[in-house]
Amino acid sequence: MHLLINAIGFGIASGAVIALGAVGFSVQFGISNVLNITYGALMTLAAYIGLALVDRGLSAWAALPVAAVVVGVVSVVFRRAVLEPLVQRGTRPFALVIVTVAAGIVLQYMIVAVAGPDSQSYGPQSGPTLHPVGMALTAGQIAIILLAAALMLALHLLLTRTQLGRAMRATASNRILARSCGIATERVSDVAWFCSGLLCGAAGVALAITVVSFDFTLGPVFLIPMIAAAVLGGIGQPYGAMLGGLVVGIASEVAGAYWSPGYKDVIAFVILIVMLLVRPRGLFGAVWSARRLLS
Amino acid sequence: MGRARLRAPLVVAVGAALVVAACGGATQTAKGPSGPISVGVIAPFTGSAAEFGKLLSAPCDVATRLINQAGGVLGHTFRCVPIDDTGDPADAVPNVTKALATTPNLDIVSGLESNTAATTVPLVNAAKIPFITTNGLVSFNKTTDKYFWRMTPADNANGVAFAIWAIHKGYRRAAIVFENNIGSEGNLPGVLAAMPKLGGTITDNVTIPADAVSYSSVVERVIATNPQVLIFSADPQTSATFLTEYKQLNNGVLPPIVTATDSLTPDFFNAVTKAVGTQYVTQDIYLVGSYFSTSGPAYTAYKDAMYADPRTHAIASVITAVGPPASDYDGINVFALAMLEANSISGAVYNAYIPRVVAGGAHAVVVHTFAQGKKELMAGHSIRYVGVIGPVTFNRYHNSAGEFAANMFSADGSAHRVGIISSQEVSQLLG
Repeated sequence: MHLLINAIGFGIASGAVIALGAVGFSVQFGISNVLNITYGALMTLAAYIGLALVDRGLSAWAALPVAAVVVGVVSVVFRRAVLEPLVQRGTRPFALVIVTVAAGIVLQYMIVAVAGPDSQSYGPQSGPTLHPVGMALTAGQIAIILLAAALMLALHLLLTRTQLGRAMRATASNRILARSCGIATERVSDVAWFCSGLLCGAAGVALAITVVSFDFTLGPVFLIPMIAAAVLGGIGQPYGAMLGGLVVGIASEVAGAYWSPGYKDVIAFVILIVMLLVRPRGLFGAVWSARRLLS
Repeated sequence: MGRARLRAPLVVAVGAALVVAACGGATQTAKGPSGPISVGVIAPFTGSAAEFGKLLSAPCDVATRLINQAGGVLGHTFRCVPIDDTGDPADAVPNVTKALATTPNLDIVSGLESNTAATTVPLVNAAKIPFITTNGLVSFNKTTDKYFWRMTPADNANGVAFAIWAIHKGYRRAAIVFENNIGSEGNLPGVLAAMPKLGGTITDNVTIPADAVSYSSVVERVIATNPQVLIFSADPQTSATFLTEYKQLNNGVLPPIVTATDSLTPDFFNAVTKAVGTQYVTQDIYLVGSYFSTSGPAYTAYKDAMYADPRTHAIASVITAVGPPASDYDGINVFALAMLEANSISGAVYNAYIPRVVAGGAHAVVVHTFAQGKKELMAGHSIRYVGVIGPVTFNRYHNSAGEFAANMFSADGSAHRVGIISSQEVSQLLG
């Protein structure tokens, strides 16, 4: 039982990082219908921006918001400079995915060119081990869980309580209709990409803090469980991605504790395949669709 | 339609031109009589294992420089050609295939590490190019590949050496933690076989994926078995994450680890030092791998050359402490001397002379460097090459495994030897 409780605790900690990234990824997809694989490399970029700041004496926790904002801006620039012109020319979705894969590789190797291929680290940031609700979590893990919860809450409030949020949801639901209703969809898309880039950046630094040592492959390696979480929750559905992140995190850790740890990543994909077979639109897909119809 | 008609002969013409060009290229490049001899170094030069590529190209850089200083072989100088296997068996195949087809005078190949050896070894063997490999795959213990030569122990023997060292240090309760890659897991059968025979207990045996967000649940499980030592193998990032979480969840206490000399890299040292501190890294990590003497003329020449060469100077302190790079260096020297003995740079010809160079005859002159060997051969003497890794005796499967050594990190990231494990003891426990 002790092992199970701890595994759930570790799963929540891992899931918080996964959820941060997955929600940003999902928001981006929801608003622009582009599967942006560059997202992984942007997470790596955030980790390295964090490293540059840490090397200049800033703490990793203080570097996190700075890196997040920078990656938010880079995301908007990427959309405006690369993706939007292609969309305007009617480029097919599959070709857009390939462009994002290519851009991710280019960015990854630009990072290598500047920072080198060797392992990097912010140093231990975990702090003391605490025991909330019988779980063994470090202060660092708890901080990341709280950070993820705060960002999720902020996103929830943005989406549900503000004019901008409503405009974002309208744009995600039907861009043409939203534009005909007077919504500045381009500006709304920029804001959505900035928000998703912000979450991407936060996830990148949080991941670098969590894994202690990282290199230029950090984001792309993490992209797979993150996409699994986003799809699990119903891609394009921020709340689904939050839940998906937690499910993937907890399932992986419980599998690691009770089954062969070598296959802990596999469990995420087994869940994903089963979910797509049972509920093809993900955990939240059907719920959100029904709400959209009613609203 | 007209366009299609026009296109057909064009395609034929272009195709024919390509065939002609390819054939022409082949006759010009393959085993050409002039130009430098290429020594291919098949290793990861990009990707997360790129650090390994540096370690495996350094012996080639040094060996070829010394060979060239000694006048080369049969009128040819030597040069190193990096062949990027990316550390991925699937990516390695096209890269190696292309290099084998297009590199002029590719007559020696080195490197071929464990992660990709299963796919790259057959390619090089089929190309009839003698190769010295650092891979530890057990499947090559009884290989019939004619051009295969290995002077480092197989991974299962390494695993036995891990167990012997753990027991030697007084640690009888060991948890095995290996990353799920072919190199790490190859050590497992040896540890599992040897530990009980030595009176030890394996408290847990876990395989972990690389680069996971967290290993906390696995760490918790291992801690619950109360091991005195971890027999451990993982890449630098994975090691740093795992060990950090172990320390956190075990009230700041980390048991010592016994790992492979593969981890004797600046990347591993830096990553793990930043994660768990220099004191632990220099006092509680034992790196076990193939042994070689750190004195004598062969080692001195090797070490001096490593420090003298600007390409290898920065990693000289690490590289001169571990066996696999030294075996590559010796292998290139042996192959070059075999070319001289055979009076041919063709792999199909000089391959048969390789055992002669290391075995010598009754009146063979013992030589420790290529320059010495060349001088004696030119004087009409038979030679026996005893290089950095000591005397080599190839068995019928072209394998030669020597003794083992345990090393530790120094505070500057270099390594020093702390013990030797005999090959006889390892062989007995392997059964």
